[in-house]
Amino acid sequence: MLDTGLTAEHDYHALNAMLNLYDDEGRIQFDADRRAAREYFLQHVNRNTVFFHSLNEKLRYLVDEGYYEPQVLDQYDRAFLHEIWDAAYAAKFRFPTFLGAFKYYTSYTLKTRDGHRYLERYEDRVVMNALALARGDTGLALELITEILEGRFQPATPTFLNAGKCARGEFVSCFLLRLEDNMESIGRGINSALQLSKRGGGVALMLTNIREHGAPIKGIENQSSGVIPVMKLLEDSFSYANQLGARQGAGAVYLNAHHPDILRFLDTKRENADEKIRIKTLSLGVVIPDVTFQLAKRGEDMYLFSPHDVEKVYGCAFSEISVTEKYAEMVDDPRIRKTKINARAFFQTLAEIQFESGYPYIMFEDTVNAANPIAGRIAMSNLCSEILQVNEASEFNDDLSYARMGTDISCNLGSMNIARAMDGGDLGASVTTAVRALNAVSEMSAIDSVPSIRRGNDEGHAIGLGQMNLHGFLARERIHYGSPEGIDFTNIYFCTVLYHALRASNALARERGRAFKGFERSKYADGSFFADYVDRDWLPETETVRALFERMGVAIPSRAEWAELRDAVMRDGIYNRNLQAVPPTGSISYINYATSSIHPITAKIEVRKEGKIGRVYYPAPYMTNDNLEFYRDAYEIGPKAIIDTYAAATRHVDQGLSLTLFFPADASTRDINRAQIHAWKKGIKTIYYIRLRQQALEGTEVQGCVSCTL
Amino acid sequence: MKDFAQTRPVPRAINWNRIEDDKDLEIWNRLTANFWLPEKVPLSNDLQSWSRLTDEERTLTIRVFTGLTLLDTIQNAVGAPALMPDAATPHEESVLTNIAFMEAVHARSYSSVFSTLCTTAEVDEAFRWSAENDHLQAKARLILDEYDATASPLRRKVASVFLESFLFYSGFYLPMHFSSRGRLTNTADLIRLIIRDEAIHGYYIGYKFQRGMEKLTEAERQEMKDFAFGLLFELYEIEARYTEELYDPMGLTEDVKAFLHYNANKALQNLGFEALFPDEACRVNPAILAALSPGSDENHDFFSGSGSSYVIGKTVATEDEDWDF
Repeated sequence: MLDTGLTAEHDYHALNAMLNLYDDEGRIQFDADRRAAREYFLQHVNRNTVFFHSLNEKLRYLVDEGYYEPQVLDQYDRAFLHEIWDAAYAAKFRFPTFLGAFKYYTSYTLKTRDGHRYLERYEDRVVMNALALARGDTGLALELITEILEGRFQPATPTFLNAGKCARGEFVSCFLLRLEDNMESIGRGINSALQLSKRGGGVALMLTNIREHGAPIKGIENQSSGVIPVMKLLEDSFSYANQLGARQGAGAVYLNAHHPDILRFLDTKRENADEKIRIKTLSLGVVIPDVTFQLAKRGEDMYLFSPHDVEKVYGCAFSEISVTEKYAEMVDDPRIRKTKINARAFFQTLAEIQFESGYPYIMFEDTVNAANPIAGRIAMSNLCSEILQVNEASEFNDDLSYARMGTDISCNLGSMNIARAMDGGDLGASVTTAVRALNAVSEMSAIDSVPSIRRGNDEGHAIGLGQMNLHGFLARERIHYGSPEGIDFTNIYFCTVLYHALRASNALARERGRAFKGFERSKYADGSFFADYVDRDWLPETETVRALFERMGVAIPSRAEWAELRDAVMRDGIYNRNLQAVPPTGSISYINYATSSIHPITAKIEVRKEGKIGRVYYPAPYMTNDNLEFYRDAYEIGPKAIIDTYAAATRHVDQGLSLTLFFPADASTRDINRAQIHAWKKGIKTIYYIRLRQQALEGTEVQGCVSCTL
Repeated sequence: MKDFAQTRPVPRAINWNRIEDDKDLEIWNRLTANFWLPEKVPLSNDLQSWSRLTDEERTLTIRVFTGLTLLDTIQNAVGAPALMPDAATPHEESVLTNIAFMEAVHARSYSSVFSTLCTTAEVDEAFRWSAENDHLQAKARLILDEYDATASPLRRKVASVFLESFLFYSGFYLPMHFSSRGRLTNTADLIRLIIRDEAIHGYYIGYKFQRGMEKLTEAERQEMKDFAFGLLFELYEIEARYTEELYDPMGLTEDVKAFLHYNANKALQNLGFEALFPDEACRVNPAILAALSPGSDENHDFFSGSGSSYVIGKTVATEDEDWDF
């Protein structure tokens, strides 16, 4: 019934949509998407791009009209600008997919102020990124355009979008704030949420320390209204502030599982929740300590502790203590008021809410802190659950000025494309360039609107180097995701990346003449971090993976090289307090032609929906009609293989990795709980979304549709 | 003592553990798992996009949605209840009550769209328009005639399937068209949830129709088929005019008609009949067709809309063996 022989009269949207429809022989129409990309340029981009006769004319216009920041260009001489632009255009970059091109031109490229005409091509955006991040270093600028144009490195959205533009948000995408148990801290937190989402990023806030519903205020019982009203205020703040309309503000809140408001917190995501307490757009995260698992194993109740009382008894905020460690002590302490719920019922409720809403995220508190090389406690994560850093409380005066400024967290991200990085052959050089680019973002960022964030960044220069296209790479090499070979590759690849990232940051510390603040109290300083790498070899266990590294010419660091690195780090330190974090990579993986993060694909032909774009179809990278068997999607692969793959990567990543779990709609809450238990056992640090897919009822599906007949 | 004449059959309690037709349970489960309310979709995210539509596009959108509201109102208040007395099993009755309720949810959803995006004056004008539009009223009347108590149970089902699987789609076209161009994408999500429901309603009522047909003689079957095609011709005639009136100003009429043909064939397929329109008349723009897929497989993150993927899960307690560590 679906005749797909229609051609010329169809616009690029229709051509792109043909990807999701099989042709007469039941084959996926990859060619239609390539034609869609071409038509998009012919029919739309080329006709709507402002034409300049020369680079000089273009730059003069863009600077004079206030589009480009002259300071970025002024760091280089004119001859070099010609050289780098020539080099960029000589690379002959082409978007392989419609979605990549469409996303770039709708969301990233510089447009005239009325939004109607394009002022940049992809090459221009890449060069402006390189020039801004290299800060006058011509060698680094040239390396950067090569790395980005060849797809090995891709800066995160806020950096890639904003670099070199006058009207822009910040380069940093992600912020984490603590809230303490007083009105000043809450008020300042809401203000910070507004300021930060105006500047273009996600903000996560920790609510664990706020006293519960019914707790006393100034000694009078039943006065506090708990965390829900704070969540409401935050939700409204985020929907009010958006980055010049570019995207909506987004926020997350984290709460410890042993906070007395935990069930109320979860119920805000119920479909039938009262509008007064219903939370629609705020993301939720729950921090779960090991003790909760042990209580559930024994089928016991779990006690919830009043943060207000805990603070009075221990003299520090609830989030500063380990619930696992102090659990028995707090249970027996009559000064701490407590309630109890059944631990297994808690996990079941968690899974029910995840079924309905995909939330909450989960952070396994004790796993995270055991793996944390930095002195201090980690008690929250961020909007994508990959940032795991230490923060410190601030204290405020009545006028909201700082009585004592703590540190909060910002993290700038960028991701490497695993397939291209392996193809490049020199993984060390690629990682080094990427680390330098991310470090530049950190050094250039000064979030003055939230001084505690600025302080955290200035002291730590934390970065988050991510990875994407794992599934695309494995499938191209005819390795199944989650197979022993797939896990073996993940392990060795991440181990090698860690080595080079530490090396690059160590070199930066030598150049800058200092390490991050607090280095001397870290596991890097006493060398204990390296024990795992100098006491044993990290080599491929399977012949396939060994041959792969050999064929691609990617060297795996030896035990001796690790020992040498350890000594260098103990001597000179590292400049960046945190190095790696694997984000979910939405938009940038489409532009970069990669599969998202280190996840399996969600569909052979992914149906992508974003506020600004509508439905667009995206083919999995390197997929042809002849290698479909290696493109089993996340629902077919199942949670276990995903968790095992992530576990292999997790041990080499100092921060977190966004891990989404996928289930068919006929799964039960028990299936979700089992996956969570497996993840916790395997040392996973955080779980991001729970996704469910319902197959169309037989007889009601759209005929010939790729995404509903899988 | 005198025996009372039995005026009504013995009331019987429904027993879901004695299923006569497995389809009833399957559809019940599917429909309950699909339950949703319009409050779930963040329609206000479309405000910016709405303000960028031209005046004609806005008028068209409101009119299309009032047209859909009318159809859902009929199906909720008359259609689904009218099918209930004909139910072959008690479970079918239960499924039909669910269908009736969801139609009310759909009708209410359009009001959510209106209250979020439009002014009261615009909406009132559109409701007046729908009350006065000849084509809209004509198709409503044709269907309502068949729902009349005098009509046969099978004819009621035919009318119901045409409404669920055919008449809605001239309206569904517009939000799908907009969303394939990145406009009103949250509204499109809501419509997709409605489409997901209507697809199952049409399929289920068509299935019950086919079971009913099996009990008829060959001649009666032929008669019923003639009736169905006759009704479809009449409805198509009106639908084509309605489409022209709505979509001509935007130049989309040809595309919408191809979509109507495609759905008319789908409706006939639900009833177990062969297609009416040849393939070349059903060349729906792939962007629309692909946007229709009711599966919940689209991918989105927290910066994006909430998506049309939403199911209520099965709750099962964990056992000791699960906590093996």
